Amino acid sequence: MSRSVQYTSSPLLASRTPVWRSKFIVAAIALAFVGLAARAAYIQVFANDFFQKQGEVRFARTLELPANRGRILDRNGLILASSIPAPSIWAIPEDVDLDRAQSQRLAKLLDMPIAELNKKLADDDKTFVWLKRQVDDGVAKEIAAMNLKGIYQRKEYKRQYPEGEAAAHVVGFTSVEDNGQEGVELTFNKELAGRNGSRRVIKDRIGRVVEAVGETIAPADGQDLQLSIDSKVQFFAYQKLRDAVLENKARAGSVVVLDAITGEVLALANYPSYTPDKRRNLSGEQLRNRALTDTFEPGSVMKPFTIGLGLETGRVTPQTLIDTGVGKLNITGSTISDSHPNGVLTVEGVIQKSSNIGTTKIAMQMQPREMWELFSQAGFGQKPQISFPGAVSGRLRPYKTWRPIEQATMSYGYGLSASLFQMARSYTVFSHDGQIIPVTMLRNTEPAAGVQVLSARTAGQVRKMLQMAAGPGGTGQKAQTIGYSVGGKSGTAYKQVGNGYGSNGNRKYRSWFVGMAPIETPRIIVAVMIDEPSNGKYFGGDVAAPVFSETVQQSLRLLGVQPDMSVKPQIVVQAAEESF
Amino acid sequence: MTRLNLVLLMAVLASALYLVGVQYESRRLFAEIDKANAEARKLAAENERLQVEKRAQATPARVEKLAKEQLHMKSSTPAITHYVTYAASSAAADTSSANRPNPESVGRVQ
Repeated sequence: MSRSVQYTSSPLLASRTPVWRSKFIVAAIALAFVGLAARAAYIQVFANDFFQKQGEVRFARTLELPANRGRILDRNGLILASSIPAPSIWAIPEDVDLDRAQSQRLAKLLDMPIAELNKKLADDDKTFVWLKRQVDDGVAKEIAAMNLKGIYQRKEYKRQYPEGEAAAHVVGFTSVEDNGQEGVELTFNKELAGRNGSRRVIKDRIGRVVEAVGETIAPADGQDLQLSIDSKVQFFAYQKLRDAVLENKARAGSVVVLDAITGEVLALANYPSYTPDKRRNLSGEQLRNRALTDTFEPGSVMKPFTIGLGLETGRVTPQTLIDTGVGKLNITGSTISDSHPNGVLTVEGVIQKSSNIGTTKIAMQMQPREMWELFSQAGFGQKPQISFPGAVSGRLRPYKTWRPIEQATMSYGYGLSASLFQMARSYTVFSHDGQIIPVTMLRNTEPAAGVQVLSARTAGQVRKMLQMAAGPGGTGQKAQTIGYSVGGKSGTAYKQVGNGYGSNGNRKYRSWFVGMAPIETPRIIVAVMIDEPSNGKYFGGDVAAPVFSETVQQSLRLLGVQPDMSVKPQIVVQAAEESF
Repeated sequence: MTRLNLVLLMAVLASALYLVGVQYESRRLFAEIDKANAEARKLAAENERLQVEKRAQATPARVEKLAKEQLHMKSSTPAITHYVTYAASSAAADTSSANRPNPESVGRVQ
């Protein structure tokens, strides 16, 4: 027996292979198997991360759960802004292969010239091209139905603004990425935006979600925001303003309606305005929220404050006589004039006839500090505490630098500046029994707690004067409205043209009216400003007061306020000249 | 002994097949729930869209235009409004008499 393996009995084929060789082979194969087993164990048990991950990449997906942006509602819960789905269409140009009819149809659906579409699809190097962002839901469905290769949709949301241009400046708008850009959309962006959630899922071969893995982070929807705006009041205010701006061939205008009890902003409109969802070719003129951003010298609107201070400190009573002379008064070399001589007036008459000289004579009895304190407390020179972008503080210089002539001009509203919104708010002093109240854009049904600036008695006296100013013999008679008693003060100013106020015939004006109604227990404060009326009329009492009248009429009716006056036909007696 | 093993083997096989079946069914149901959820979201979005649409059709601007142009209506003013008070607060009822329509103001459109 040789030490070899016998494969056959034939001696011819007898192999001389030694046994150790076959044993070696067996051992080698066994070793290879051990190696494989070890590797398998290593891969599957000890170092499985990499393969685990690679596997997951192929079937697990993280899905984003988009949060809805909150809606903006008016005080009655009507929608002012809401997000609706608007898919965006994108393409991989290289994969797109359209025949002529298809591209024609697609271009028509996307509302763009066919050349533009072809240009977008021409660049084969790009792997991603937006064809159009945020198309209508219906259009997206039709495009999806065309089943085109290389053209995809991405789910996006679009803001919709049902009120359109009437509420544009209040509500503002969002960018295509759903970030607030203007107005309330910007101010309350954080509250409205919400937070996207996510979840991890396993998808099968045909893309169906078959299993959720790990933790699901639920999306936090944005909060709904209820504004103090009343969309009907807002609309009527805007409509009356627009009509007045067009009728007077003015450059622009603003109107503010405040609730005199709660300090809520019921309406805030500017003209020219814009449609928030069609923002091509927008100009700064249209975008600017003039009521908050434009400041001007408040003029006669300041007189009630000066008189109020005189009454409060006991320097004058409503019946004190003031001699306004022949309509000219010299203060340290400068001349103050009234538009025409008024002779001897009572303090009430000074407001009614809007006499600069009368106001100055009362003001010169006071300390600059007193006036400055009252003006500051009434919000002049202070940034309004309102959550709104772009609100300005206006200008009120420290009293220590006032010269006598400046004190005089400031008493009737020159040498300081304020926005229309500040003026409207300052009049809460008179409407709210001497308290200045904080204003808010958000709904608030509680009566506002204010800071006492004047006594309730003084406020009542000034209200009576404001009523006279808007009544027969006053400068703002066109502010009268059927059924409701009103009170208010008009103002007119030359606008600065170049280096001065312009020469005759080339002058530019700004006219405004600030008032309240019903006068005994004011419910609303309305402020109207018309910029550069150029159709013959330019006095605040002629241009802005009618807008005030109509806005008050509609607003009080909508708010369900019962008329406090017996109804008379609206007769305007001969208007008194007003000074500015 | 062999028979017991055989029975156990059969049991294991049956259980394994059952597991596969159950897993399949659960995935199918999950996919269905997911689809239903997506549908619900879509309907909610559609609802929101229609709400906005409805609101857009009922804005004061449009209502006023239609009322004036198609129905020939006029804005009301206190001059053509008769105010009435509830019987409970009849003390104030006499105010309504003060607001009788005035012939000159009737028909005035604002």
